[in-house]
Amino acid sequence: MKSNENFLYPPLWKRLHSVWFRHMRVYTKNIFSNGLPPFLEPLLFLAGIGLGLGKYITESMEGLAYIEFLGTGLLMTSAMFTASFECTFGPFIRLVFAKVYDGMLAAPLTANNLIIGEMIWAGTKGLFFSFAVLCVLSLFGIVSLPKCLLAPLVGFITGLMFSTLALLVTSFVKTINHFNFYFTGFISPMFFFSGVVFPVSNLPDYIRPLAELIPLTHSVRLARAVCTHHYPPHLLLDMLYIIAFILIIGYFAVKRLKKRLVY
Amino acid sequence: MSEIAIIVKNISKSFGKVQAVRDLSFEVKAGSCYGFLGPNGAGKTTMMKMLYGKCTLDNVNGSSVEVFGYNPVKEELAIKYLSGVVPQDNNLDDELDVIGNLMVYSRFYSLPRKVAKSRIDYLLDFMELTDKRKAKIKELSGGMQRRLVIARALMNNPKLLILDEPTTGLDPQVRHLIWDKLRQLKRQQTTILLTTHYMEEAFALCDTILIMDKGRGVMRGSPVELLEQNVEKYVLEITGSHTFDMITDSADVQAVRVDRSAETMRLYSDNEQHWKQLASQLEGAHYYLRQTNLEDVFLKATGRELNEKQ
Repeated sequence: MKSNENFLYPPLWKRLHSVWFRHMRVYTKNIFSNGLPPFLEPLLFLAGIGLGLGKYITESMEGLAYIEFLGTGLLMTSAMFTASFECTFGPFIRLVFAKVYDGMLAAPLTANNLIIGEMIWAGTKGLFFSFAVLCVLSLFGIVSLPKCLLAPLVGFITGLMFSTLALLVTSFVKTINHFNFYFTGFISPMFFFSGVVFPVSNLPDYIRPLAELIPLTHSVRLARAVCTHHYPPHLLLDMLYIIAFILIIGYFAVKRLKKRLVY
Repeated sequence: MSEIAIIVKNISKSFGKVQAVRDLSFEVKAGSCYGFLGPNGAGKTTMMKMLYGKCTLDNVNGSSVEVFGYNPVKEELAIKYLSGVVPQDNNLDDELDVIGNLMVYSRFYSLPRKVAKSRIDYLLDFMELTDKRKAKIKELSGGMQRRLVIARALMNNPKLLILDEPTTGLDPQVRHLIWDKLRQLKRQQTTILLTTHYMEEAFALCDTILIMDKGRGVMRGSPVELLEQNVEKYVLEITGSHTFDMITDSADVQAVRVDRSAETMRLYSDNEQHWKQLASQLEGAHYYLRQTNLEDVFLKATGRELNEKQ
């Protein structure tokens, strides 16, 4: 008895959008507590550098004053952190404790839709968080608008990239405390070894290949290029790295996490 | 209306070494209410999840599932679009209020905003939640949350409503309200699938009942058929182990079916004559003569022992 009524379940883009919309509504419900910290954090960071540490660092880094160097790096670390949190604790809670995914998967959505929607949302948060940093940076004249307006777009891509990795990690995690290993063991060190705080070129030769392996290095390079309007040809390699990372890690994240959603 | 809405043939599902569903088959007529009874761990929830693609099926030759002609493995979206699901746990978004929960859910069906709003007004009225439209989820009682989950499942006017223990833990008023609503939906030709542990719920709502145990279907039929075909008409319940000795040797006890637990003895028979004679031997003891009900059928079908999942 196939239903011969003319009905159409929503097309792919609408399904992805509905997942995104759910996350957006939940996030913006507490707009004050969720929306303010992304602005405060870079403010505190830059105040610390500007008022204190900055005056000891007089050397320019990759042709930038230190505060410019660090500021353009922070555009990406904020996107990295938010996407990583969003796609670790978030999905785990929605999967195990709140069972929100059970409700969503009863609606016309596939597990793949759900996971990819999750990634797009994390990208959106990356965009918003780097936009917040950009606001603070331009407020202090560290970067100049409008030429930096592309930076949040790089934030989106960075968010996307880290969401794939975070979701892959989530697919392995059995208890929520295991995420601590990921954050202390991987995300936090990345902050120091990917050219945010100091240039990668200053690292010892035997560590430098390692810095090229980790994803944040490539985001930061892209963000700086966008902010300084200086596009050296090796940026193509960074872009290739990011695209390949998203596709490969994203593929495995979807494949593995799907098994926890539909079993 | 005698069209078949769901056809399930020989499906099985195992999780590692545990076989949750074993070689189960059943058919559900469109517009009818089909109930699943069974101890915890009998495979009821798993079976329901297999119908809308939340659980995969074991790849067994000859097994198949069709819901309105769609295969949940390949066409889960069509099935989900036509169905509403009330899961065992209330999984509402705590961050959003009542309206917010329903608005977000309406997007999953891509209902236009205006249509969604009037649909939500109707559903809140239908489930008697209109006063609570702005309430936070945490402020709702268990019964209200349950009604909201049911309202959410009805968002897209489903042809099939799947309810996993819809009234567990609710007070009688709310239960009766939910039963009334389900009857109304049935009258509108909604096909209803329901699991429950309440025998009176199954009796009140279901056209057909399937009793499951250890993943298998062990008895099926209409509530009345189940009673008539599987248990005697009357049961004499005697409580207090010390009184058992008064009658166990009696010839009348030998003649009836006996079901005994530590503190209760149940004697089943169609013959009233037995009770009169037994009662005369039970002076001073606690006993109670009643008509048998679905619970007696259930215990006969699934046994009194607890399984490892209960």
